Amino acid sequence: MVKIISVILAIVVAALLPTVWPNPYYIHLMVVIGIYAILLLGLDIVVGYVGEVSLGHAALFGIGAYTAGVLNFQLSVPFLLAVPASIVVTALFGAILALPALRVNGPYLAMVTLAFGTIIQILINEMTFLTNGPMGLSVRKPVFFGHHINGTDYYYIVLVALVTALFVVQRILKSHLGRAFEALHDSPIASDCMGVSVYGYKVYAFVLSAGIAGLAGSLFTYSEEYISPNTYNFELTILSLLAVIMGGRKTRSGPILGAIIVVMLPNVLSDIELFRKISIGIAVLTIVYSTYAVATSQRTLKQLMLPLLATIILAASGYYMENITEHRLTIFGVMILFVVYYLPNGIMGFLRGIVQKIRPQWIHRHEEISEHGDKQHVWSVPDHRVTAKGHLLEARNIMMQFGGLKALNEVNLEIAKGSVHGLIGPNGSGKSTMMNVLTGIYKPTAGEIEFNGKLITGATPSSIAGEGIARTFQNVQLFGEMTAIENVLVGLHHTFRHSLIDVVFQTPRCRKQRNAARVRAASLLKFVGLDDLANEEARNLPYGKQRLLEIARALALNPSLLLLDEPAAGLTAPDIKELIVMINKIRGHGITVILIEHHMDVVMSICDKVTVLDFGQKIAEGAPANVQCDEKVIEAYLGGSAKVAA
Amino acid sequence: MEILAQLIVSGIALGMIYALIAFGYQLTFATSSTLNFGQGEALMLGALVGLTLVGHMNYWLMIPVVMVFGALQGVFVERVGVLPTLKTKSEFGWIMTTISLAIIFKNVAENIWGHDDLTFPSPLPTAPLQFFGIRVLPMEILVVVGALAIMLAVEIFNRKSIYGKAVVATSNDRDAAGLMGINTGMVITFSYALSSMTAAFAGVLVAPLTLTGATMGAVLGLKAFAVAIIGGLNSGMGVIVGGLILGIAETTTGYYISTGYKDVPGLLLLLLVLAIKPAGMFGKSVIKKV
Repeated sequence: MVKIISVILAIVVAALLPTVWPNPYYIHLMVVIGIYAILLLGLDIVVGYVGEVSLGHAALFGIGAYTAGVLNFQLSVPFLLAVPASIVVTALFGAILALPALRVNGPYLAMVTLAFGTIIQILINEMTFLTNGPMGLSVRKPVFFGHHINGTDYYYIVLVALVTALFVVQRILKSHLGRAFEALHDSPIASDCMGVSVYGYKVYAFVLSAGIAGLAGSLFTYSEEYISPNTYNFELTILSLLAVIMGGRKTRSGPILGAIIVVMLPNVLSDIELFRKISIGIAVLTIVYSTYAVATSQRTLKQLMLPLLATIILAASGYYMENITEHRLTIFGVMILFVVYYLPNGIMGFLRGIVQKIRPQWIHRHEEISEHGDKQHVWSVPDHRVTAKGHLLEARNIMMQFGGLKALNEVNLEIAKGSVHGLIGPNGSGKSTMMNVLTGIYKPTAGEIEFNGKLITGATPSSIAGEGIARTFQNVQLFGEMTAIENVLVGLHHTFRHSLIDVVFQTPRCRKQRNAARVRAASLLKFVGLDDLANEEARNLPYGKQRLLEIARALALNPSLLLLDEPAAGLTAPDIKELIVMINKIRGHGITVILIEHHMDVVMSICDKVTVLDFGQKIAEGAPANVQCDEKVIEAYLGGSAKVAA
Repeated sequence: MEILAQLIVSGIALGMIYALIAFGYQLTFATSSTLNFGQGEALMLGALVGLTLVGHMNYWLMIPVVMVFGALQGVFVERVGVLPTLKTKSEFGWIMTTISLAIIFKNVAENIWGHDDLTFPSPLPTAPLQFFGIRVLPMEILVVVGALAIMLAVEIFNRKSIYGKAVVATSNDRDAAGLMGINTGMVITFSYALSSMTAAFAGVLVAPLTLTGATMGAVLGLKAFAVAIIGGLNSGMGVIVGGLILGIAETTTGYYISTGYKDVPGLLLLLLVLAIKPAGMFGKSVIKKV
């Protein structure tokens, strides 16, 4: 409530600003701040939420600007058509970049977007027939109902655009889409195995971000009334990134603050007197803080040496230099280094930290989800009905080779529908490799896998998850920075079947699905006994509870096959008993289970059939009791010949 | 036909410089999965320092001095920009810090050596040699030979010496190498020193062929990105082939289409390779273990 009032208040204040400062220069400055804020909001989706670095947002901004400019200049397309066209065209360019560049992990997106930025500048310069080359394009502000829009009118247009952009971005990031962005950043592998394709959603985020950059670009064209290629250079990219991280990533206020800083920065740097005053102020503040921190022994002098020296040098250099504009890139560079090392959460994050110390109840890192679970909402039918007769899963002649090592050698595995199938073997026998092959994390060197009557060999982990295979991990892969219930909601991602439009307008369909998912998530947590820890961050849970949370998250996928990788590891004896009850209930609801486990009592008590692997080969298979007596199995576990031991 | 041959020959010299910078990216990417976004600036600093030194000493004597300077510059980048960010799992930190160091170097160079491009005196005769009607500058031959020689030297060092074993071990598995008593931090610093050293060397090789100035690095560094991706970030053979492809593609586009567009095929090729074989033409795709 307080939040809504303060947002409305901020909008009212922003609307009144032109009457306070009627000077056209200030109004123009505020328009530019508004436009940059829109650009940065979009950039934050990529940088803050998805965790990729884009060095091409200046170019995307330029594409937006030039689309509007060219449409207006060459074809006299009106404002209200040119702006949406810019959004679409820029989003398309975003897709062309993101689709190849995000296929691989690593710094590829940064490298490709950097190259893209250079190329776009060249193209704008060279394609004179379209863009008028280095001469630039002149565009007039639009005319509405015979009224020629002036600077103040345009301020209100940009304000409306900014508020709309804020609103849309906020809704998207608070929806299941935003949750998917955060999940894939937190644990890509778990995200893929929950049916949230890391590649797909990274591309989605980038295209969204590009579209927003296109909006900002087109507004910029009409604001400046003249565009030329040199505006959209590397310096603008650097400034935008500085603004996003300095304002504060993963906030809506951060980009606005960042925009104010970067628009004002060149003005500060053009006035040497002002710069000297500010740099001395910063140096004094740093010295005071360092003395305080060292005196109260929060930090050591060694830790503070570098920033202290840097700020003092900065203050001193102000008197040495006559002209700072020449040195502005150095100052930007130093600022980025400073923010990355000493202000990683930006100014907004820093302020949040202070507030949290004084009034912890004011800060909510996560939305409190208070829905109560019940027994009837735990189970649901699989998205793909089980149509296979007999075996639900058949793996034929699976071979998995890492270099010269055969981790799996011609393994056949048949899993009967509705059974609990144990997979055991000594360490390094290939059990977890088998799991990874079945869920698509590894592509088998040879062999094929048929699940529910469909060949899934070579399919991506997220599409295999979509077919109905859910899993837990031997080394827990939770989304650590999300709450327990949010983890389960990521598993329920597939139940959100509405479009971006539904999210933005919060249609009844969207709200209905969201509420249903919340009740379901709460019920699943109750099923594994974590209902009282629903709003606790997953990384703070004890190890055993994390494993249970993984089971709840996997069940959220509505699987027809559930792979449990050592679920009893780290559990106490009473917890193990509960786990056995839980697995029996899971089977009772028609879900087939593959169980990897070292606790033989668990395996023996619930498995219908057991497969034993050793050195990548199947050495025994059958009912638990028979396997237990098999000579080969005893030999594999205890070494030597069973007869000699006897 | 003769024109095409001529373009290919010029493309080869250009391509070898790209390959040498891309080789520098590979060196650090192997040990720490990071790379210096200021590699082009390392080249530029090497060239400008070399230019200043050449006023006082012989070109050939200057090369080792510049290489030492390059190595020190690499150590500086690693200590200030990369080392503190290695603890976080995100790539954001080191990308931002190496970029900011790059713009600082560029800006400082502008303020020391000025904004204008300077000519670098050529140590070899500037009259082209004729081979079957194709003109080749002696400097171009030096570029190709020099680039191959230093890449070969680094490769031999990595394969034969015990220090090289440490580099290879660190690039295979940093944690395991650390547990075996290898000071992996040292190895990463060393790889940055080597990487910037090759870049500085590339700078003094290319400087006599082009103009020297604070802005010369950015474009070269960028092209080398394309080469590293096209060839594969973990393939030594890849960068050479990638460099040659890009160099020749550029000179031919520049001649047959327009010099304005000569940088475009690089990006198209880059996107194409990523779309078809993301690990690069010669790169091995690594299976991530869970």
